[in-house]
Amino acid sequence: MNKALRDKKAILFFILPAALLFTLVLFGPILYAGYISLCDWNALSKPKFIGLKNFKALFTKDDVFLTSLKNSIFFMIFSLVTQQIIGLILAAILSGLRYGKNVYKNIIYLPCVLSSAALGLLFSFILKPNMGLNQLLAIFGIQGPNWLMSVNGYIPLTMWVIGVVALWIYVGTTMMLYMAGIAGIDKSLLEAAYIDGAGKTKTFWHVTLPLLKPMARTTISLTCIGSLKFFDLVYNMTQGGPNNKTQTMATWLYFEGFSYFKYGYASAISIVLLIMCLLVTFIINRCISVKDFEN
Amino acid sequence: MKSKALSILLSVSMVAAALTGCSVSTDTGETTPSTDGAGTETGTDTTGSTENKTETTDTSTASADEEEITWVFWDDLEASTDQMTQLYAQTVERFNAEDNGYHVNVITTNLEEYDSKVNALIAAGDTPDLLICNPGPNADVYVDAGVVQPLNQYLDADPEWRDSFAGGMFDRVTYGSDIYGIPTNFAAACCFYNTEMFEAAGISEVPSDMEGFLDACAKLKEAGYTPLTCSASTAWCLSMIAGYCMNREGVDTEALNAGTAHWTDENCVKGVEDLVAISKFFQDTYLGDSNDDATAHFYNEEAAILIQGSWCIAQMNGNSATIEDKCGVFSFPSVDGSIGDMIVKTDNVLMSATTEHPEACVAFLKMLTDETAQKATAEQAGKIPVTKVEVDTSKAPKQFGYVSDLLANLTGTIGFYNESLVSVEAGDTFDNNMVSIVMGDETIEEGLQNIEDFYKENAWQ
Repeated sequence: MNKALRDKKAILFFILPAALLFTLVLFGPILYAGYISLCDWNALSKPKFIGLKNFKALFTKDDVFLTSLKNSIFFMIFSLVTQQIIGLILAAILSGLRYGKNVYKNIIYLPCVLSSAALGLLFSFILKPNMGLNQLLAIFGIQGPNWLMSVNGYIPLTMWVIGVVALWIYVGTTMMLYMAGIAGIDKSLLEAAYIDGAGKTKTFWHVTLPLLKPMARTTISLTCIGSLKFFDLVYNMTQGGPNNKTQTMATWLYFEGFSYFKYGYASAISIVLLIMCLLVTFIINRCISVKDFEN
Repeated sequence: MKSKALSILLSVSMVAAALTGCSVSTDTGETTPSTDGAGTETGTDTTGSTENKTETTDTSTASADEEEITWVFWDDLEASTDQMTQLYAQTVERFNAEDNGYHVNVITTNLEEYDSKVNALIAAGDTPDLLICNPGPNADVYVDAGVVQPLNQYLDADPEWRDSFAGGMFDRVTYGSDIYGIPTNFAAACCFYNTEMFEAAGISEVPSDMEGFLDACAKLKEAGYTPLTCSASTAWCLSMIAGYCMNREGVDTEALNAGTAHWTDENCVKGVEDLVAISKFFQDTYLGDSNDDATAHFYNEEAAILIQGSWCIAQMNGNSATIEDKCGVFSFPSVDGSIGDMIVKTDNVLMSATTEHPEACVAFLKMLTDETAQKATAEQAGKIPVTKVEVDTSKAPKQFGYVSDLLANLTGTIGFYNESLVSVEAGDTFDNNMVSIVMGDETIEEGLQNIEDFYKENAWQ
């Protein structure tokens, strides 16, 4: 092994494919998007360099972008809180089950393997005013609200509804990651806690939870980045409407690019999105310190 | 040595496999005919791309000696119950069955995503040979950017074809002296009403002015009917009514686009006030209903009036066996009872500037506008033909005759508002603010000020 590591040609040989791939499919497009974000470009003619005008317009003139920014941050916080708490609770409960663990695990994880676009369409039908949920409520004499056309409040009802659907879809992933984390904890540590007189709750709180910190950092990062990039559910359930009240940064980027031919402006949104994702990842890594308790 | 070779082979395979994911798929899929005549997708797309994967409808695969052209269309040719779409499917089948050396491959998508998909294809340099397009800002962009080509030379080369078109059909696809699109059918936005409900509500004459219209709606409501069906979820449905209201109050879109009139002017305010007054008679679920839902309320006889383009005749009659006999048509009322302008549009097919098979494209365009297709446009789908073709009105849906009568008496036409404003974004801004006003999220003044601000920022500079 050491001999192989000293062989620079071997190192280069193994790194090169990945480096090439990363450059071609990741760094290249990011750099190109960065350049395009500084241009006025409709994809049909030559890009015209305009400096930071697109970024200035985003934060000073574009109310829809500010709404989409607010909505994306809402999704991030909502998903972070709900998915982490519910995912962890489910993981803790299922890890302790003797029977039926796999059945419950598969049921909860099932929405994750289904297309979120298809689920978005499915929920848009379920939440239509003249079918699905509202018809069910009508049986009990309750007039359901306009789930997908509500605009009242700082965060409209529609946003909460989409958030809950996203929770239902993605909580399985968080649960699975935490279950993997729990399964990886050395049983002797838990047994030692039981011998010392700790109950199940105390053991979970003082032993399991601290040992799940590395996994928590991973799941929090994944949830935050995934929520900031949220697109398919919003697009399929509301298309950002009514009157752009449910736009997220990803959907607004899409409309600006593909509907309005403002690719320079859309690229500027994508760069802001990228910076936010990097910033969130940096903050999470700084805030959640991981110590190797087990060794 | 053996392991080195194996590792090289594996690395190359890995890179090749990964890079296939980066390629842009121009493959529209292939279909092979099944015994029942319906196309069966064989899925020849090996790029792994799912983003651009679209359903493909076709009656046969192109043979090696056939020139293949692609046409992007905004409905599912196989699954749609819309008779106009079925007619397009028949024309495609007819074209491909002919021994003309050409083959058309149709890329279908749903209407809501159509423009975005076409724009994405164009931006990626994969402009289809032919694309169906509404007149207005999207077509303007394609023309300005040189994505599509003028068709004058092909029309001039076949005077019989050129002269077969009815007068004024090329107006909205003509830029300077160049014609950029071939219209395939013509539709007008009208008020479709249920004659039985009108009779039961004691309305003996269709309303001709706004006051009479609102009175009729009130009578229908009193009689226990839902007077009007509309969709706010599909914003253009609502904004189409807004466009009519504004037109009736004397709003001129050309003046608005030029900056010589303002969205905050009194006539705009009055127009939106009319819209708000009308919206009080919409079905309870109009906010969440889509265009299809709203149309279904009418042909399922749950609402008395549907304000919609005449393309809905094909949809209504395709979904209900009884609505044709109960459906009447009248023009959107004017303020004073005079005959007002009618919102009209044509469905146009544009040809790519980079197509390698212009002759094949023109042959298909000619088939879309030949006598068989145009007669069927009226007789089967109830839409207005674009050519001077003799229509057997006894075969056509009854609504076709009513719409034709209205068109015979009309004084002027206007385009759909969201297709007549300066850009697609301006159209969306108008649509969205009309929805917000009607649902009470904005006052009339706030909504119009938003559009005014958009114009100041993006159009009038």
